[in-house]
Amino acid sequence: MQGNTPKIKPGIFNNHPDSRMITNMNSCVHCGLCAESCFFYLATKDERFMPGRKADLVTSVYRRYCTWQGKVFPKLVNARELNGEFASEMTDLLFGACTMCGRCSMHCSTGVDVPYLVRLGRTMLSEMGFVPATLQSTVNAALESGNNMSIPLTEFLDTIKWMEEELMDETGDPLSRIPVNEKRKEILYTLNPREPKFYPLSISAMAKIFYFAGESWTLSSEMYDVTNYAYFSGNNKEAAIIAERLRKEMKHLDCNTLVLAECGHGTRAFRWEAPNYLKQQFPFKVISSVECIADYIRKGRINLDPDKIKVPVTIHDPCNLVRNGGVINEQRYILKQFVKQFIEMEPHGIDNFCCGGGGGQLAMSEFNERRMKAAVIKAEQIRQTGAKIVVTPCHNCIDQLTQVNIYYKLGIKLMTMAEIVAEAIIPHKTNF
Amino acid sequence: MKWYYWVAIIPPVLACITCLRLIIRLVTPGRPEDFSVPAGNISESIRYAYTSSMNPARKETAFLHLPTYAAGIIYHAGTFLSLIFFPFIWLQLSPSEPVIFITSIVLVSSALCGIGILIKRMTNSRMRKLSNPDDYISNILVTGFQVTTVIVLNFSSAYFTYFIVSGLLFLYFPVGKLKHAVYFFAARYHLGLFFGRRGVWPPVNEK
Ligand code: SF4
Ligand code: SF4
Repeated sequence: MQGNTPKIKPGIFNNHPDSRMITNMNSCVHCGLCAESCFFYLATKDERFMPGRKADLVTSVYRRYCTWQGKVFPKLVNARELNGEFASEMTDLLFGACTMCGRCSMHCSTGVDVPYLVRLGRTMLSEMGFVPATLQSTVNAALESGNNMSIPLTEFLDTIKWMEEELMDETGDPLSRIPVNEKRKEILYTLNPREPKFYPLSISAMAKIFYFAGESWTLSSEMYDVTNYAYFSGNNKEAAIIAERLRKEMKHLDCNTLVLAECGHGTRAFRWEAPNYLKQQFPFKVISSVECIADYIRKGRINLDPDKIKVPVTIHDPCNLVRNGGVINEQRYILKQFVKQFIEMEPHGIDNFCCGGGGGQLAMSEFNERRMKAAVIKAEQIRQTGAKIVVTPCHNCIDQLTQVNIYYKLGIKLMTMAEIVAEAIIPHKTNF
Repeated sequence: MKWYYWVAIIPPVLACITCLRLIIRLVTPGRPEDFSVPAGNISESIRYAYTSSMNPARKETAFLHLPTYAAGIIYHAGTFLSLIFFPFIWLQLSPSEPVIFITSIVLVSSALCGIGILIKRMTNSRMRKLSNPDDYISNILVTGFQVTTVIVLNFSSAYFTYFIVSGLLFLYFPVGKLKHAVYFFAARYHLGLFFGRRGVWPPVNEK
């Protein structure tokens, strides 16, 4: 990959001549104040990891190829020639040292949208064939098999059958089911492929919630994958193919609401980015499972035991769901129904620090060491709460925090929102 | 009027034309197309982006770096004040003694802040790595403009030097980071647009 001479394609900038791009390419004043907003810098004190420097990698190419100042006075304005060496440096920093969490842009002196620039840089690198092979293989798996873990259909259906039996045990109702491919239901529910592969109990947990809420819902075996790693690789064509499959399946099954599973980037990619990849507003409702559960509680469709969870609990806010997705208070509303000791991390909510697993980091094993080192910020935040359970409505964050738990010896239990709610649910007779 | 008064008006006119050109370039394409269904109040968020979001108590880049943040604010205030005085100086309208006195104090303070920021940029390793020649030149020109404004307000013999320095500043405007005088406002707008559409800004307790 990096050894090959790249096909230089800085022309990507000319494809987006809107005011957002022009603004972000020209707004950084190099004040350097954003350094402490980025957990990569905070954890390592490596100056290359300052958000302003990551932004500058991208803007320096823009200046070189798209501005007269960069063409006439390249040294004066740091306009850089895009060659193989520079592309490798960009790959290392834009893919391996940024999760596109957006914390820096929220606090930037001027308002530079650093993750937007990082993603533009990733798109440029993607067009040059510089996407790390590990990340690209995850995208390829989704494109070729329909899910990013290449789970064969029979294996998926076997897992769902097995979870249906779990559900019957949980509800005590031999008729309780996990519907698959049923048409004209209220909800089409998606999954993160990590669920059928590694954490199947989170599927039965959500099924239990749907059961007691008396919901009309279905899974799809054709397209259940909520993730879209092409959002992280920067390849918009591939991102559009993946998004289109889910849109088509929604149309095919003719459901009213698409409920996106607990996956921060999946939620962001479909709810906020996919309409733009596909250039259309979706004719159905798209919500996250967290909003769905909160709605059930508000409407009294599920009842929760207020004394169920007595140990201290904290929440990790997935950046893509919270700061970049606006689902900020629903998860707190849910937990406060049945958690006796709820403790916030500092900072939290829209100011949270990334767990370190976002931006496709978990898929890029070449950056493992850096990823775990940078996670010290999150580990210390968790330790300071004294929580025994950390809830996070994102399977990607669950994976990262599971590794952080072991690496930093935190001694915590990690749970998704569906898992903890399913534990607190008070069984009652449903209409089904 | 001496000949150089007429020459001195050319650079600021060119800078104004640049500003206008940048604004037209930003405004002409309109609001970027977005097909997602909005979840928040976009105009409230844009208002927030220009106002409370920059409150030092909220903005980490400000409260973690209060001296630098304060120096930056004073420095920018000095720049605006110097710009306001430019037409008066050009028209040779002399303000009253108290106005000159207060303005001089503000501009000396702001120039000192500018020098402080320049020294930080030159001596702090992380700032040096982030900086390019344009960052230094822009700072020197703006600080020089503030200093010569003080001088010309107090010594009428300094007009020629003042117009040389201001001319260099205005001529340099289209080249480098000084253009953030326009882009800053655009950046706040886009940040407000982004977070507003997604229901993130304004934060819930301010909605
Ligand atoms: S805070 Fe903003 S303007 Fe300052 S260096 Fe960072 S990205 Fe650039
Ligand atoms: S988006 Fe997040 S990870 Fe990337 S530079 Fe900003 S703070 Fe750091």
